[in-house]
Amino acid sequence: MDKKHCKKHYDVIVIGAGATGAGTARDCAMRGLSTLLVERFDFTAGATGRNHGLLHSGARYAVTDRESATECIKENMILRKIARHCVEETGGLFVTLPEDDLEYQKKFVESCRLSGIDAEVIDPAEALRLEPAVNPDIIGAVKVPDGAVDPFRLTTANAISARQHGADILTYHEVVDLPVSNGRVTGVELLDRHTGERLVVDASLVINAGGIWGHLIAKKVGVTINMFPAKGALLIFGHRVNNTVINRCRKPADADILVPGDTISLIGTTSSRVPFDQVDNMDVTQEEVDVLLREGVKIAPSLAYTRILRAYAGVRPLVASDDDPSGRTISRGIVCLDHATRDGLEGFITITGGKLMTYRLMAEWATDMACRKLGHTGVCRTAETPLPGSEENVGEDKPRKSHIIEMSTDQLAAQGRHGSLSSEIEYKSDTDDALVCECEEVSVGEIKYAIDKLHVNNLVNLRRRTRLGMGTCQGGLCACRAAAILGNELGKRDEALCDLASFVNERWKGMMPVAWGQTLVEAQFTSWMYEGVCGLEPCKDNIKETHQQ
Amino acid sequence: MKYNSIIIGGGLSGLLAGIRLAKAGQKVAIISSGQSALHFSSGSFGLLGSVDGHSVTNPVEGIKNLPAVHPYSKVGAEKVISHAAEVKNLLSEAGLTFKGDATANHYHLTPIGRCRPAWLTLDDYATCEDLAAIKWKKVAIINFKGYLDFYPEFIADELKKKGIVSVSYTLSLPDLERLRKSSSEMRATAIAKYLKGDNLDLFATEINRVLTPDIDMVLIPAVVGLDSEKPLVDLRSKVKAPLSCVPVIPMSVGGLRCQMALRRYFESLGGVYFLGDSVSSGYMKAARMVSVETVNLAPVSLFADNFILATGSFFSHGLVAEPHKVVEPVFNLDVRVPSDRDEWFRKNLFEAQPFMEFGVDTDPQFRVKKDGKVIENVYAAGAILGGCNPLKEESGAGVATVTALEVADLILNQK
Repeated sequence: MDKKHCKKHYDVIVIGAGATGAGTARDCAMRGLSTLLVERFDFTAGATGRNHGLLHSGARYAVTDRESATECIKENMILRKIARHCVEETGGLFVTLPEDDLEYQKKFVESCRLSGIDAEVIDPAEALRLEPAVNPDIIGAVKVPDGAVDPFRLTTANAISARQHGADILTYHEVVDLPVSNGRVTGVELLDRHTGERLVVDASLVINAGGIWGHLIAKKVGVTINMFPAKGALLIFGHRVNNTVINRCRKPADADILVPGDTISLIGTTSSRVPFDQVDNMDVTQEEVDVLLREGVKIAPSLAYTRILRAYAGVRPLVASDDDPSGRTISRGIVCLDHATRDGLEGFITITGGKLMTYRLMAEWATDMACRKLGHTGVCRTAETPLPGSEENVGEDKPRKSHIIEMSTDQLAAQGRHGSLSSEIEYKSDTDDALVCECEEVSVGEIKYAIDKLHVNNLVNLRRRTRLGMGTCQGGLCACRAAAILGNELGKRDEALCDLASFVNERWKGMMPVAWGQTLVEAQFTSWMYEGVCGLEPCKDNIKETHQQ
Repeated sequence: MKYNSIIIGGGLSGLLAGIRLAKAGQKVAIISSGQSALHFSSGSFGLLGSVDGHSVTNPVEGIKNLPAVHPYSKVGAEKVISHAAEVKNLLSEAGLTFKGDATANHYHLTPIGRCRPAWLTLDDYATCEDLAAIKWKKVAIINFKGYLDFYPEFIADELKKKGIVSVSYTLSLPDLERLRKSSSEMRATAIAKYLKGDNLDLFATEINRVLTPDIDMVLIPAVVGLDSEKPLVDLRSKVKAPLSCVPVIPMSVGGLRCQMALRRYFESLGGVYFLGDSVSSGYMKAARMVSVETVNLAPVSLFADNFILATGSFFSHGLVAEPHKVVEPVFNLDVRVPSDRDEWFRKNLFEAQPFMEFGVDTDPQFRVKKDGKVIENVYAAGAILGGCNPLKEESGAGVATVTALEVADLILNQK
């Protein structure tokens, strides 16, 4: 959306377009509040785009945090219905290795039962049959309803839904100030990161859904939220090693979850506290890579010789309880703060804590609070109303006439990515079916659709919407093609080449910590290809999205 | 099987060394695993385009400023230049017409319209004498419908900055329309297979149809002339204005043409080219390599008096990186690599990356070392030498060919 179409005043302005912010904007808009969603970079640029993509059953929290576990399993079942095009029902296993205590399994299964999670103890041989990638030496296995969820798709779908219900969205607009008048936040002052322009938009209520950055946003109006950035690093493997989520059945620790997602598998995470001045600068260290690999190989031995595509890290927004200023009591649960009652500041609430799995519930809590404060009566319908793309059972209702596929593989891939929205991809010109990204089968038509409809300004945005450049070549071949299309469609070809250079560099950032074997070969090829053959150079003044995956 | 020399690696370096040795009457075998860096070539070869970030106009002068570890410094400036001249002759004998020479760099046009320094450029590829100016007045840029690896708009933008007007046309041919039905088939080498014979006539007619008299240059994507330069010569004779190719996203049609022409020339000189094979082990006696075994020919051993290792860098698997070390996979030779992985890389991909300079350790005569000891009859040539950043220097092809001729000479001059 262009800010020229932005209204002067909204009922609600939501800050932050992660899953929580986009979900909150959706809920507010669905309940009839006029809503603006603002984001300093792109959708999913923070923790939302930098995690496992695990559709938690809640089993992981069952022993240590039953409240979270119960929330998880409820939301898990909801997401399977409302976000089916973002979810893959892989099932999950909690396996006990010879070095782990099998006694823990009993406690684990009992805790799952109490949390309402269906956990079934199975024979290790049966587990191996279900998931051949699992370590054959396991001594115990429990089946749970884990799955995989694509956080990029999920967030985009929430944003699209918000827009369909009348919300406005501004990406690349950073909140630089929260104007306060008579003890009340009256709106936001935004900086357009592309043009450098500033604008003030008024709102009856501002909702802070900025994740770890929410701490800094609240600080602008003198409000302190006791947050602790906790860094988690993950590795992406070059293909799907496993088809079932594999967890270690032990007290949560480093690198004990292996999740399949689309064409790849992910191992994670580590956990370490980082200072606030580092939250925009998430480099994965050699030590983290080594730990992830060492522990990952114990879960699935083939990881030892599987190509690692890249490494990345995200920051969990952990929140300390308000009654413990020392910050020792960390809650992983949802934190919804009304700064009027808490800090004497009207017109401002913060929704934080929680996790990707509970984004919808977080949005519901925040919207409930917003409605209460604004005297608005609206009922939450987000638990029943499917997200755009998930309205119907795409491709499942029609019986196949024969084994011959009626769609091209890139059309099938697009359907997998966008669900029923893939019907909006127009193959207007007869060259729109040409393939741009061969690893992930992204066509010219899909790219044009993403540019038109999904708030795409640059190649990183495009990658998050379509998976372009996420495959084994890491953009080595497709990025140049996509840059040309983007430059032509947006009419900014000079920027397109700067963007191409920063995209190639951003891909390298994730490859560098794991640049050995084929990954180093790929990096050397990419360098030769872009710097050597094309003569591409990085631009100095390019907008830098510091926090990228 | 017994040879005078066995060359491991069948890319630009291995082929040039093989041709030089075979021409001198040696019985030579090349063992090639397949693809080489030539397959990803821009159609231009660089000798030395830049030193320490300063562009070099005359490589002869630039070589004098290189550090001692650089392969050129080991060869010596004068010999680099004489080898370079010989390289151009050998390429020409192989049926490859190049323009340019070692005393003055020219520039070649890239797929996005930028200019990169070059020593030799295939005759049919577009070049400019210097960065500031190109002599063309009005350029027609031709692309094929649905072809995504060539960027007329980017090229037009760059030409405009130099004051050159351009017009773009998108053409198609019936055979290419059929090719296009499969959404991943519109790639350079696939197109090149169709652009000969009648299709080439058709293409020339289509180009001529859109040409206006004021157009003094036609730029087409480099997708013509896979087996030889003949289709391009034909096309140029049929099109009514001067015509040049612009490199595209690999696979490189020009590079493949070089690879095939050099192999044909090598074989015509009596050389044996084992394609799709790789050396699995070497048998040493004292400080000499006696024989090697290959994957396909084992248990038969290949014996030779001398061996040349021209297996390339990481990209060609001449070097293989593991999490905490880099190995030379054929003979497990000594490599010059820092032990801490953090020292291998820079965070900005466009900075000079240390890993680009990794290579095997050699004595001043390019003989490789194992466990600190020189192997007396195994030489290294090309990218596996390391000691320079071929990307930043634009010296990859130069190092490959010059060191190939140098080690060939060292072998031929043995007493």
